[in-house]
Amino acid sequence: MGTILTVDHLDKSFGAKQVLHGVDFFVEEGHIVALVGPNGAGKSTIMKAILGLIPVDGGGIDIKGQPVSITSHQALRNVGALIEYPGIYPFLSGRQQLQLFANQHNKQTNVDTIIKAMGMGKYIDRPAKSYSLGMKQKLGIAQALVNNPQLVILDEPMNGLDPQAVKDLRDLLRNLASHGTSFLISSHILSELEKLADDVLILNHGQIVKHATMKALEAAGGITYKIAVDNLDQAKAALTMAKSKFSVVDDAITLLDTAPGELNAALYALVNAGVAINTVAQQAHDLEGAFLAMVHDDQKEEA
Amino acid sequence: MLTLYKQEVYKQIHKIGWWIALGFMILVQITFGIVGKRNPSMFAPSDLVGNSYVGGGLVMLIAIASTASIIAMEFQYGTMKQLLYRQYYRSQVFISKILTALTQLVFLQVVAGLMTVGLSLILFPSYHWATHVDGLTRGLVYLRSLGSDLLVGLLLLSVVILLSTVFKSNAAAIATGLVGYFMAQLASTLMIAMIAWQHWTKFLPFTFLLTNTQIQAPSFSRLTLFSTPMMIGGTLLYTVVFTLIAYLSFRKRSV
Ligand SMILES: Nc1ncnc2c1ncn2[C@@H]1O[C@H](COP(=O)(O)OP(=O)(O)O)[C@@H](O)[C@H]1O
Ligand SMILES: [Mg+2]
Repeated sequence: MGTILTVDHLDKSFGAKQVLHGVDFFVEEGHIVALVGPNGAGKSTIMKAILGLIPVDGGGIDIKGQPVSITSHQALRNVGALIEYPGIYPFLSGRQQLQLFANQHNKQTNVDTIIKAMGMGKYIDRPAKSYSLGMKQKLGIAQALVNNPQLVILDEPMNGLDPQAVKDLRDLLRNLASHGTSFLISSHILSELEKLADDVLILNHGQIVKHATMKALEAAGGITYKIAVDNLDQAKAALTMAKSKFSVVDDAITLLDTAPGELNAALYALVNAGVAINTVAQQAHDLEGAFLAMVHDDQKEEA
Repeated sequence: MLTLYKQEVYKQIHKIGWWIALGFMILVQITFGIVGKRNPSMFAPSDLVGNSYVGGGLVMLIAIASTASIIAMEFQYGTMKQLLYRQYYRSQVFISKILTALTQLVFLQVVAGLMTVGLSLILFPSYHWATHVDGLTRGLVYLRSLGSDLLVGLLLLSVVILLSTVFKSNAAAIATGLVGYFMAQLASTLMIAMIAWQHWTKFLPFTFLLTNTQIQAPSFSRLTLFSTPMMIGGTLLYTVVFTLIAYLSFRKRSV
C-alpha cells in the first residue's frame, strides 16, 4: 500500500502569529490516522490547508502525487471532509443536502447507503434546521462519506454524538478503512480515537511532537495514579504548591509523574493541606495520561 | 460547471422565502391591476404597463435580496468550506453563483412581463399592444423597457455581489443591498445636477443607473452627456469591473 497524503513542512501564520511550524507527516492508504492536540494546537488549520481552503506560507501538500493549494484542487476529487462544524442549509432536508453534494454517478444508491449506514433514516426527510446537534454532526459526516472518497478528513467528528453513535461511527469507519479508505481524524481527546486509529500524530502549538502507531503509544503509556479527593480546588492548589505534575481528568487528579517518591510527595502535600483522599488507583498504560504529559506544560501556561 | 450551476439553482428553488417573494410580486401586480381598473382616473393603463404593474421595482428588490444572500448565506450557514474544498476551481464556484443570480433576474423579469401582458389582456382589452407610439408598437416599447431595466439590473447586482463577498451574514448583505438600492436611486437623480456642474462626474458609475431612462428617452443624453450606445457600454463595463473585483476578493479568501 502506498501513501495517499503527504504534508511536507507546512508553515502557516495568521498575521504575526505563527500557527503551524514545519508540520510534516503522511497518511498511508487504508490507514486511520489520528491527529490529536489540545484546543488551538492547529488541527483545523492543517486540515483546511490540506483541503486548499487557506493559503499557506511554506511547505506543500500532496494527494496521490498531485499537489494541492488554494488554487489547485484537482487532487481533491476523491476527498471527503468535515471541518470544524457541519454546514447545514436550514431550508433543505437532510436527504436533500446529501443529494446536493452527491456525485451524479450512482447518486441514489450512494445517498441511501450512507443514510442507512449512519442510521439517519428516521429524520432524514425532515428540514435540517430542526436537527439536534448530534443529528447535524451525523449529517456532516454523511456528507463527507457520501461519494465513497479515497481520503476522508474528519475534524473532531465525535462532537455531540452519544456513546452509541460514537461506537457505530467507529465501526463504520473501521469497516471503510478495511476496504481501503484512508482517514485523517482529529480530536482533542486521544482516548476517543484509541479504539479507532492505526497511527497517531500528536500536535502541540503547531508542531508534531510525536508520530507513532497507536500500539506503540499504548505500550509506552506507562503508569499514572488517579487520586480521587473531596475538595478538588484545594487539592489542585496543594499539588501546584508542591510542584507535582498532574492533570484533572473526570473530576479526579491524575498524577502524571510517577518517578519514585512522586506519589509519596503528592499524597504528603494533600494530607498536609487537609484534603480528604477518597481513593488512589494505579492506572496502567494510560493513553490519556501519556498524551497529557506530552502537552502538559503548555496547557498549564494557557490556563 | 453545469453541475455547480445546477446545485446553485437547486438551493435557490428550495428557499421558501424566494417563492413567497415571487407570490408577493404577482399579488401586488394583480392588486394594482384591479385598482387601476376600478379607478381609471388614478392610473392610466399605459402607466401601469410602463412599470409592469409595479412589478418592475419589485423585480429589482427581490433580485437584490436574493443575490445578496447567494454568497453571504454560505458563510452564515457554514457551508462555504463544503462548497470550496471540492475539485472545482474557485472561479467555477463563483461563476456558478453569478449565473444563478443572472438566471433569477431574467426569470423574475420574464414573470413580471408575462403578468403584465396577461393582466392587460384581461383587465384592459382595449389596450392595444400593436398601437404605435413614437414610431414603435407598444409591445416593442415595453420589451425595450424590460431589456433596459435588465441592463441596469446587472450593474446593481454586480455591486451587490461585490458587497456580499465581504459580508458574512445574510441579513447584513441583504440590508446593505436594499439600502444601497434606494441610495442609488436617489444618487442617480442627483447625478444630473452633478454632471451639469462638473462634467467629468459623468464617468462615475451612478450615471449608468440612468441607462434605462436614456434608452427609453434618448433626449436624456443632453443631461448625461453620453450617447446611448456609450451609456450601454459604460453600464456593461462597470458591471464587469465590479464583478471582477468581487471575484478577486473571493478568490484568495480564507474560509
Ligand atoms: N482565521 C484565523 N485568524 C486568526 N487566527 C486563527 C484563525 N484560524 C485559526 N487561528 C488560530 O490558529 C490557532 C490554531 O487554530 P485551530 O487550527 O483552529 O486549532 P484546533 O483546531 O487545533 O483547535 C489558534 O490559536 C487560533 O486562534
Ligand atoms: Mg479545531
